[in-house]
Amino acid sequence: MPSKRSRAADRHLTWVRGRIRPLTPLKRKPMLVSWRYRDRKSLIQWFDPRAWLIFYGCFLATTLFFWDVRFLAPLMVISLIVLFTSGVTWREIRRAFLFIIGFVFFFAILTFLTGRGGVEVYEQEHLVRKLAAPFTIFGWRPTLKVTVERIFFAGSQFVRVFSIAVMTILIPYTLNPALYGVTFKGLGLPDKIAYAMDLTMRFIPTFGRDFQLTMDAQKARGYELEKIEGGLIAQVRKLGPIIVPVTIHAIISSEDIIDAMDLRAFGVGPRTWLQELHYQTKDKILIGFGVFMLVTAVVILFLGYGDFWVPEALIQSLAK
Amino acid sequence: MSGEDLLELKDVAFRYRDREEQAIRQISFSVEEGEVFLIAGASGCGKTTLIRTINGLIPRSYKGELSGEVLLYGENPQDWPLSKISQRVATVLQDPERQILGTKVLNEVAFGLENLGRPRDEIYARVDQALKQLGILHLRERETFNLSGGEKQKVALAGVLAMEPSILLLDEPLASLDPVSAQDTLTAVRELADQGMTVLMVEHRVEDVLGIDPDRVLFMHDGEIRYLGNPEGLIKAVNYHEVKLPAEMIIERAKQNPPPSELEILPGVTLDDGKPESLVRFQGVDFSYEKETEVLHNIELTIDRGDVIAVLGPNGAGKTTFVKHAIGLLEPASGDVFIEGVNTKKASVAEIAGTLGYVFQSPSHMLFAPTVYKELSFGPKNLGHSPEEIEKEVKEALEIVNLEAKEDDPPLSLSFGQQKRVSIASILAMRSRILVMDEPNAGQDYENYMNFMDSILQMPGFESILFVTHDVDLALIYANRVILMADGSIQADGPPRDVLSDLDLLRSCNLIPTSLLTANLERFEKLDRFQRAEALAHV
Repeated sequence: MPSKRSRAADRHLTWVRGRIRPLTPLKRKPMLVSWRYRDRKSLIQWFDPRAWLIFYGCFLATTLFFWDVRFLAPLMVISLIVLFTSGVTWREIRRAFLFIIGFVFFFAILTFLTGRGGVEVYEQEHLVRKLAAPFTIFGWRPTLKVTVERIFFAGSQFVRVFSIAVMTILIPYTLNPALYGVTFKGLGLPDKIAYAMDLTMRFIPTFGRDFQLTMDAQKARGYELEKIEGGLIAQVRKLGPIIVPVTIHAIISSEDIIDAMDLRAFGVGPRTWLQELHYQTKDKILIGFGVFMLVTAVVILFLGYGDFWVPEALIQSLAK
Repeated sequence: MSGEDLLELKDVAFRYRDREEQAIRQISFSVEEGEVFLIAGASGCGKTTLIRTINGLIPRSYKGELSGEVLLYGENPQDWPLSKISQRVATVLQDPERQILGTKVLNEVAFGLENLGRPRDEIYARVDQALKQLGILHLRERETFNLSGGEKQKVALAGVLAMEPSILLLDEPLASLDPVSAQDTLTAVRELADQGMTVLMVEHRVEDVLGIDPDRVLFMHDGEIRYLGNPEGLIKAVNYHEVKLPAEMIIERAKQNPPPSELEILPGVTLDDGKPESLVRFQGVDFSYEKETEVLHNIELTIDRGDVIAVLGPNGAGKTTFVKHAIGLLEPASGDVFIEGVNTKKASVAEIAGTLGYVFQSPSHMLFAPTVYKELSFGPKNLGHSPEEIEKEVKEALEIVNLEAKEDDPPLSLSFGQQKRVSIASILAMRSRILVMDEPNAGQDYENYMNFMDSILQMPGFESILFVTHDVDLALIYANRVILMADGSIQADGPPRDVLSDLDLLRSCNLIPTSLLTANLERFEKLDRFQRAEALAHV
């Protein structure tokens, strides 16, 4: 029995249908921040994300325990295996990878040239060769002392930081953002904190878009970020035209976000997490391997190994 | 239980803790099951406060002095937790962008049910049902960030529908939508009401909502009810300057009043004074953000002195991308853009800003300074003007936007309309000669934006104005040239009378002919150019 209302709606519908063609698909616009995650057939994604994060934690700690390149080398091999089986293409990772690896490499070179940083782990240096520049600057002749310790220290430092960097870079490419909350919930965090992880992932692109809009709006008023100079405080002050609007927007938005959460009963009791994660045998093996790695590292340290190491034979051959 | 009052308000008043005046007072009405109830009124009249008293955010999240009674199913919910109210009264907030909390549509729609701790099977079933109800089941696995405005609005709606409420509160659901998406959303709302849902909708776009036959309309003014009754009565109770009514109704009523005065558009421009006419030239411009999809295709045009251009088109047509090329924020992939003969590839954005000023949609994206004066001097300072020049430019700009008294106030403490004027003045102070505005009427009420457009067009100092919009009426009333864009290319370019009279073309660009356009077309022979409804009354 059609009511007055439904007849009106029918009228309206036919009116709309008669006039509208289907919308053309929305074009994707580039974002300052975009999801790096994709579903890939890879070693990392074969495991439960919780298992992977536990393994990652063990890997991190183990690597940080060692300065001995003999122990660090196998860890680097693990990180390389993970990298090459990750399914992340060179194109995707190129910028982040070159930046971080460039950074690591730069610091390794810097330690090598200056000899700084290593003094905490070695006391004696054995000279391989002394390279002196053929010129002087105000009476000072730049001299590079190439010692066994410096070479090995720079090498160890590179291997150590490289392994950690590779494992860390891969996380945003391989961990599904939709699973962040449930992953952290599964690692034992309370509902509210775990959901905050989800929320962060959700609002990073929105925040990025607001930032870009403000940037464009100020550029249109002749503001040039490149021209900022002066001391640190002066520089921060000159960032005001960007920071103030972005912050104000974030505050206004957060009020709405809190309302939206309140209105849908957030935090009233234990919540259901729609996505489920189940540990499988392979995940347990991975966690077991991670823990084994960590325990082994501790035992090795207790036995007095794992500190900075240079091959004895090399030093002796130099002494001859 | 048809006919029973689902919701009743008895003499409700509320004052926010940090304000002196009451935001709403003497509000009494009741709503029946299955009604579509429109709440209208100018910005700041208390509509949002009213919504908050109904959904329980007042007094739970917003503190202050609440008096009177709100009854749900005859019960006073004052001791209920918000979670209990929200299962009966669902709210969709103004900006779906901030309401959507999930990264994926599935998670977003499931959010409320997850919080209530429902079993997974039930959640999946109810999510699918809500999505089906709105015809968007195909979006289930999509990422929410990449949805279009209309899709976002529906996903937000699905997110509250999944909680199976009986009352739906919608706070300006059409604010950011183009005509087609707005119609689509309204149709969905109508269908929900036909299935028995009670809908209370706050909306500025009264004319559009009247299209789905709301049962009753509440018109608020200054925190109080000015009109409550059927839609036919509203038309008599309100002034046609306050609310956008269907054009024929305005024409009927405006006949009793004297004709509106003609706008003196761009008073600073005198043609034939020997200056070059062309200000901006696009030459074969192509652009794409990613290699596969071209966003602009072979754009070829000039902007001349004296042009008031409306760039019209649906969301995603490439309008904003086009405008960003004019100011040099983007450079063409192929082709060139010249601003007064200078190629944008060879000039910085700052250099172009001296000629072409761009006012962004939301003033809060640019206002930052402690005082209005400092806000206005920011641009000219960046352009390297001398302190004496700056002082003169700022004073003049303040005078034009009529904000001299606010010189020392913090811009962020001003009302939205005033902030918008500050953002225009900050472009004026740079002595930009071309004004470019992105969606100048978004989020503003009718009276506000019409006054605003009237005064902008009559400001001295600009030689050309260009605005981007999906509001056909805005283009029809104010522009002397319309550029119709769709799919990244120009579909038509000419006087409104030529471009907008091609209804097939409009429809093919996803635009819907408005009542004002229809009224103009009916009087086509008698007009030399399109007019606003008040003027048509005297044709």
